[in-house]
Amino acid sequence: MENGTPTQGEGKDPAGFLSEIIGNPVTVKLNSGVVYKGELQSVDGYMNIALEKTDEYVNGVKRRNYGDAFVRGNNVMYISADS
Amino acid sequence: MAEAGDEGNPVSEPLDLVRLLLDEVVCVKLRGDRELKGRLHAYDSHCNLVLGEVEETIYVADEEDDDDEIKASRHPLLHSTVSRKSEMLFVRGDSVVLISPQSRAY
Amino acid sequence: MSSFGFDSTRHNPAATGFSQAHNPFAGLSNRDDDGDALEFEDTYDGLGDQLDETDDVFNNDTFGDTSGLTSAPVGKDFDFFGQTAKVANAIEEEHVRFQRQQPASKVVQPAAQTFARIPTEAPVSRYAPQPVAYKPARTGYEKYSQEPVAELQVDAALWGVAPKKQPTPAAAPAPAPAPAQASSSTPAPPGRKMMSLEEVEAQMRAQSKKPAQQATPSPAPQPQIQPQIPHDNGYQFAQPAQPQAAGPADHLRPKEQSFHPGHGHPVTILQRPQSKHTPPAQPLVQQPVTQPALHQRLPQQPSGPAQPVQPTQILQNPNRLSGDAAKFGLHSHPTPPIPGNFPAHPSHRQQGSFSRQPLANHSAQLSQLTEEEKMAYMDQEAKRAKRNHKIFLMSRDNGIMTPQDKNFVTRIQLQQLVSATGNPNEHGTDESLAEDFYYQVHNQIQGGQRQHPSQPLSNFAQTYLYQTGSRQGGLRRHNRGPENHMQRMEQQVQRAVEAAKNKPKNKQLVIEGSLGKISFSNAKTPKPLLNIKRHDSSSEAHRPSSSHRNAHAFHGTDKKGELRSIETIYSTLMKMEDHDRLMPPPPSGDADTEAVQRFVAWSNDAQALNKKLWKALRVHDHPGPDNIHPFIALLSYAKGKKAMQRIFRHSTQEQRTTILTLIVVNLDNLDVVRNAQVTTGEMQLNSAMREKVELFSVAVMSTLFTFMNELDLDLVAGVLGLVCTRNVGLIARSKIGVSMLTMILSRAEIIKHGGGGSEQSWRAWDATYSQFFDLIEPSLPHIFPGTVHSGEDVYVWQLLAAIGIGAGPDQQQRLVLAVKDRVMDTVSLSKTLPQDLASQRLQNVNLFMRSIGLDVELLQ
Repeated sequence: MENGTPTQGEGKDPAGFLSEIIGNPVTVKLNSGVVYKGELQSVDGYMNIALEKTDEYVNGVKRRNYGDAFVRGNNVMYISADS
Repeated sequence: MAEAGDEGNPVSEPLDLVRLLLDEVVCVKLRGDRELKGRLHAYDSHCNLVLGEVEETIYVADEEDDDDEIKASRHPLLHSTVSRKSEMLFVRGDSVVLISPQSRAY
Repeated sequence: MSSFGFDSTRHNPAATGFSQAHNPFAGLSNRDDDGDALEFEDTYDGLGDQLDETDDVFNNDTFGDTSGLTSAPVGKDFDFFGQTAKVANAIEEEHVRFQRQQPASKVVQPAAQTFARIPTEAPVSRYAPQPVAYKPARTGYEKYSQEPVAELQVDAALWGVAPKKQPTPAAAPAPAPAPAQASSSTPAPPGRKMMSLEEVEAQMRAQSKKPAQQATPSPAPQPQIQPQIPHDNGYQFAQPAQPQAAGPADHLRPKEQSFHPGHGHPVTILQRPQSKHTPPAQPLVQQPVTQPALHQRLPQQPSGPAQPVQPTQILQNPNRLSGDAAKFGLHSHPTPPIPGNFPAHPSHRQQGSFSRQPLANHSAQLSQLTEEEKMAYMDQEAKRAKRNHKIFLMSRDNGIMTPQDKNFVTRIQLQQLVSATGNPNEHGTDESLAEDFYYQVHNQIQGGQRQHPSQPLSNFAQTYLYQTGSRQGGLRRHNRGPENHMQRMEQQVQRAVEAAKNKPKNKQLVIEGSLGKISFSNAKTPKPLLNIKRHDSSSEAHRPSSSHRNAHAFHGTDKKGELRSIETIYSTLMKMEDHDRLMPPPPSGDADTEAVQRFVAWSNDAQALNKKLWKALRVHDHPGPDNIHPFIALLSYAKGKKAMQRIFRHSTQEQRTTILTLIVVNLDNLDVVRNAQVTTGEMQLNSAMREKVELFSVAVMSTLFTFMNELDLDLVAGVLGLVCTRNVGLIARSKIGVSMLTMILSRAEIIKHGGGGSEQSWRAWDATYSQFFDLIEPSLPHIFPGTVHSGEDVYVWQLLAAIGIGAGPDQQQRLVLAVKDRVMDTVSLSKTLPQDLASQRLQNVNLFMRSIGLDVELLQ
């Protein structure tokens, strides 16, 4: 990791932040407006995201859920930590 | 990859999740309200996929519904859809939005 | 020649088209003087009649054979204008302005002999009327009328330039007006703006001398400078005079003085090629303002027929034009005034305005025209006027930037582009700095070597242009400033392109900052934007989620863990298979040590891989009491099942036995057993499960079957014993379970046939068999899938046959009783079936019947 060395304090930069919130519930909004809420399994440098126990919200309404979900990074608008 | 995380997180990076879905039936959301359901034969880091026994579903939104509530309350499956099947599909990665194991009891 | 001068044409019809641009400018600066003053009618003073054609001789030189000009409109052959015009417009305009502004001083412009006539006309028309504020009522098309003037100016500029690019450029750039005049015949300039041929020549000479004189390292500087100069000049008239100019000043000054009028400013105007002729005057305005004298000159210049000659040259190199024009234009620009216009105009017009020009050029000509022609001409004029007006309206912003301004900006941008692309070859060299605006200016301010003392420090742009111009110039064109410009830009573009080509070779440009990494990418080749920490197991332990995750794993329902194991198995298998291909020849008895070592190393690797595989299989994992063994769980995945054959191929005998044992022990836990219970009804398994069963049979059972055929009786008995510890009834009600039982029993029977097994072993086997028989007997009636009609019960009959063969008489009887109903039903059903199906069914039953010494035939 060139970024976010352990001593750097996680959460200090985006990479650190993302590392920090792995395993926590997050909200992921896509460029299309669709929102996924689930447990963040992992993120990579492309912003690809793996979620667990994911609920999909379209226009604020829950549409369906996925046990696991891989979201391709280019669609991601933001990732926010819930709680 | 799996080897790296033998004892740890099975999904140490997102694409690992896709790897775990190899040879499984997956549900792939594509841009343009399309969905594919099929067996994942292969993938790469661009999310190019090879799917077998694929069923493609295109959700056609009703344009008359400008009302968000109506839209929202409507289940996607209630929209008119177009489906077709293919024995084998190559999906170019840039249209992929989401990949998940087909919802079923594991 | 007629075309040249006379006409009043100051407002050439043709010119109008081009002149449009002028209007805007005119409005700005000249308007008062010229704009208003120049009405066609007003302006037209019948100059054409007054034309002095003495020097028309030169026309041929300039334009080729134009002898018939008067009668024959200027041919399109010589269109110095076209190209020149593009550049020249600005210059011309400025000249015009100057001239107009400075009408008083230069009105004289007797100009060279050649020009003489022109001067007369031009001066008269323009100067007199215009300068004086002679403002006739505005027709609204004054601009058009002016246009011609502009054109004239342009021409003049061109000429001035044209004569000799070198001399003029050098001189011109430098505001050496005075010198030029003084040194050469130029003196006229002071008085006149227009230059006669003589004047021009003089200037050229002066200029040519200057270069030599110049201490500046590179003679080229002149040319180079020139282009730059135009701007500079335009902006900084005073500069030449400024102390800075010291060295170069000499050159510059002289020229400036003489040329000032024409100063580079005009060049700026050049920007719009279209409006070239007309616009020039107006655009010039700014400059003109500064130099009133110029205006005066301008008018004169136009008169200078000599100029025409130059124009041609200029035309040839548009590039130079800007630069030269600037320089020369300055001097000669004055010419543009009306007189000059004509000559130039014709050419210009031809290019731009078409046929009208000729006509329009001379009122005299007009008079000669037939009524029809006149009508046509007027028509054209009207159209042109309209069009010009439109263009005028659209051209308000024309000339805001001079070509030099644009060049300047372009060059800076190019430079930045080059440095942005990061041509690796240039790093660390001065070359990368050569074009850098900020570096150059900084360098000058810091008192770095001043190659051009005349450079105005106060004007950064100029300084930059000087500086950058001088260094390269050394080698190349000394004379052509503009060309230099163009070439340099070309170079820069080339450099940028090269840099871009090299780029792929360079490391991806990544800027790392507090926000993480910023890198260039596109949709097709995304680059990682973040370097996310990877969570190895150690760090995982510190995470809040870790406990959760581990707990998850302990539940044994960790699907992802299972999938991960499968992936590990596969990747390991692939490595092992690859490793196998690399197997060195087993060392023979006396093999050299190296071969032995190699083989040992290979074996070690193979063992390591085997261990890894074994670990991934999780055979030795101990699931919680309520959980399925992880290995069995792996078999619930299609890819887990498919891996079995390869796993066995890469496993030791011991490992295989262990796996078999494990499977048997967990027979009733296999999903294909537990979740595939047969029913006696019509209900059938869903397709997914049937697929699983099918796959299990093909992938796992066949593997086990092959393996089991190598087992001895003890092991077989042991396996059967294990079965007895499970829920035999459950096992027997699945196809897989039944197959497994059949396989075990068959193996024993085969061993018996082969005479294998010790007596003790057989006793053990018999004991186990009896136990098994007791366990399964109650289930026998219920292990048939579907109804009699479904005909899927072959495998059951096979099991019954396997059981029957090993059964004692007593057991055989119990067997018959247990399945009697099914036998009878099948027999009776077969009677209703077609021959083929019937015999098929009966054959299946006979598998069992014959194992106990019976035959369906007996029942019929």
